Amino acid sequence: MKIVVLLSAGRHPVSGAPVLPRMEAQAIRIAAALGEAVGLHAGPDAEAVREALGLGLTHIEHIAVADGLDPVPALAARLAAMAPDLVLAGRRGQGGPESGIVPYALAEALDLLLIPDVVAVSGGPDTLTLDQSLGRGALRRVAVRGPVLATVHPDAAAPLAYAFGKARRGTIELVGAAAKATDVPEAVVEERPYRRRPKLVKGAPTGGSAAERLKAATGEGGSATKGRLLVEPDPEEAAREILAHLRQIGVLADASKSAK
Amino acid sequence: MTRPRRDPRAERASIQVAGEARPRFDRTARRTGSGRPRRDPRAERAGQRVAGESRPRYDLSQTVRFDAAVITEAQPKTAAVAPPKILVLENPAFLVAVVPDAPGGRLSSHDRQVLGAARALAGREGGVAILTLGPCEGVGPAGADRCLPLEAVEGYDPASQTARVAAALTALAARHVLFPESLDGGDLARRVAVRLGEPVFTNAEVVAANGLVRPAKGRRVEQRVAPGMLATVAPDAVAEYGGPPREARLLSVDGEAPTPSPQKNPKRIVSAARVPADPATVPLALAEFVVSAGNGLTDLDTFRQVVAALHATPGASRVLCDAGLMPRHTQVGASGTVLAATCYFALGISGAPQHLQGVAGCEHVVAVNTDLHAAMIERAGLAIVQDAQVVMPALLRLLEQEAGENA
Ligand SMILES: Cc1cc2nc3c(=O)[nH]c(=O)nc-3n(C[C@H](O)[C@H](O)[C@H](O)COP(=O)(O)OP(=O)(O)OC[C@H]3O[C@@H](n4cnc5c(N)ncnc54)[C@H](O)[C@@H]3O)c2cc1C
Repeated sequence: MKIVVLLSAGRHPVSGAPVLPRMEAQAIRIAAALGEAVGLHAGPDAEAVREALGLGLTHIEHIAVADGLDPVPALAARLAAMAPDLVLAGRRGQGGPESGIVPYALAEALDLLLIPDVVAVSGGPDTLTLDQSLGRGALRRVAVRGPVLATVHPDAAAPLAYAFGKARRGTIELVGAAAKATDVPEAVVEERPYRRRPKLVKGAPTGGSAAERLKAATGEGGSATKGRLLVEPDPEEAAREILAHLRQIGVLADASKSAK
Repeated sequence: MTRPRRDPRAERASIQVAGEARPRFDRTARRTGSGRPRRDPRAERAGQRVAGESRPRYDLSQTVRFDAAVITEAQPKTAAVAPPKILVLENPAFLVAVVPDAPGGRLSSHDRQVLGAARALAGREGGVAILTLGPCEGVGPAGADRCLPLEAVEGYDPASQTARVAAALTALAARHVLFPESLDGGDLARRVAVRLGEPVFTNAEVVAANGLVRPAKGRRVEQRVAPGMLATVAPDAVAEYGGPPREARLLSVDGEAPTPSPQKNPKRIVSAARVPADPATVPLALAEFVVSAGNGLTDLDTFRQVVAALHATPGASRVLCDAGLMPRHTQVGASGTVLAATCYFALGISGAPQHLQGVAGCEHVVAVNTDLHAAMIERAGLAIVQDAQVVMPALLRLLEQEAGENA
């Protein structure tokens, strides 16, 4: 089975140092468990993704694309030539625009099936089973046929440990340069330093006083102030109260339903 | 030129209220004769009062002419009690479309926030149209002027879902389209964007008519653009719509003939099945319902049975983890796991600040503790002052009994 992992030049979210995005490292782990995988990077410098060689890849193909140009046409052309069975990418970039649009643009360009937010992949070249995260640990198990592009969710298994020896043995090959890219008219984007904005407080009364908003923010308002207090109840009664409360919240299935 | 001379005594006599033993003067009456009318600050203040709130609130934007002291009577007290009138927008100048996730036919709070954002973009002239896949309830109160229910796609078929939404959006010709930046909504937004060939402004944290703002480059910078056609809205960034309910008039779009997947090989997804999370193994940070044991608990076997019977994820306080009675990965709190659970059930936990930090995000808390003054009891929505060792078997008995009745 032919697997390609798309690699991007990321930046560490705290230090800003060049780093391989975690989701791509997780993608390498998924790919390594399935078979031989090749990394593919389009960008000005392949050194940015050398770290991936120590995390489970043995070979990376590099397409030279000047800084600030759209990598999608170059990636699409190379992927069309490679014809892989599975393409893995992170769900969002890290340190760039972070819009997560590249996998979608590639899937549209190559007419590939795209399955987003995958945490595990199993199966062979003809039928692959992908576990897609639905949040809160719930999954959707999707069986697909034919070539597929999957983006990796942060809930996937943690990346493999970095191995220095493997990183030295791995190879990076320059497979071409993007043709003189046509200048795409960019939307006018104004950039300024990020400013944190106040987080929306859930359940805060609109137009309430500062004291009320503070209560809502610290969790002392809402359910706590309206809370019920039972002092020294009969244990059976306490159990009944607890179950009724849990059912009312909706975390416990109804007795009639759970028996089915 | 001389002004006529004022006669204060005569003026005063003219406003005296007749027929009272104690002299009283009606100063609200417009003075005849010369001089500026007298201001009545109290009446002005009362006129600015917003009707129908227990706590006095004043609308300072309303400038009260000082000679219009009767404004208080113009605001009947009953206006606030009457059911809110449904706002009808006949001819919106433009439309702002919203495509919600609406899991199970109900708007999530993120969906409501997106509707609030759309309302902010639409302003006074524009209308908000909601595009739902399958029926959806409660869209009017959430701020939708128009509602366009599309046929739901059966099974997991993102391609035809995208085709359907894109066709409807083209037919609707909305000026802006907003999606929630959730797992499903973000996916659909990007699919629609590449299909329509439009740029999409993802994860907007500020939505206003004069610009959208999103964080980028690891939250080092923020990017601002004028609102384009497609955008996704970050969770908990924009307030929900708080005004009177809107009409949510049903729309029908004629050009809506869903082309059955125009792809070369249509059946690429062989099967798709939902695997619900297994509460026993799901990581604590993702768990929906956590039952947690503290130092007040001696009978951990019964505790494990209770956790299994309630289909919950086990948690513990640091004391139990330090003692080796519970595995370290179950520790809740500042140095353990910070929960995102809907409900937290604490058995024999005092509620130390380090522990409560882990529970801060939980909406509902249930506590059982022998100490009436424990912080956990204060935090809980349902607090029971009782020995946990007798409540746990009672819970098990009750659950067993219910299972027996329904078997
Ligand atoms: C730097 C630092 C970090 C920490 N981080 C964490 C953390 O991440 N998570 C954490 O949990 N703690 C943490 N702690 C420890 C924390 O301060 C408390 O010591 C701990 O949470 C107390 O746990 P507890 O409530 O189980 O025990 P206790 O404080 O001993 O409380 C036991 C409670 O059980 C009640 N009780 C007794 N008998 C019964 C009975 N039969 N039935 C019902 N109730 C009964 C008692 O009334 C009491 O309220 C941290 C401390 C420090 C200094």
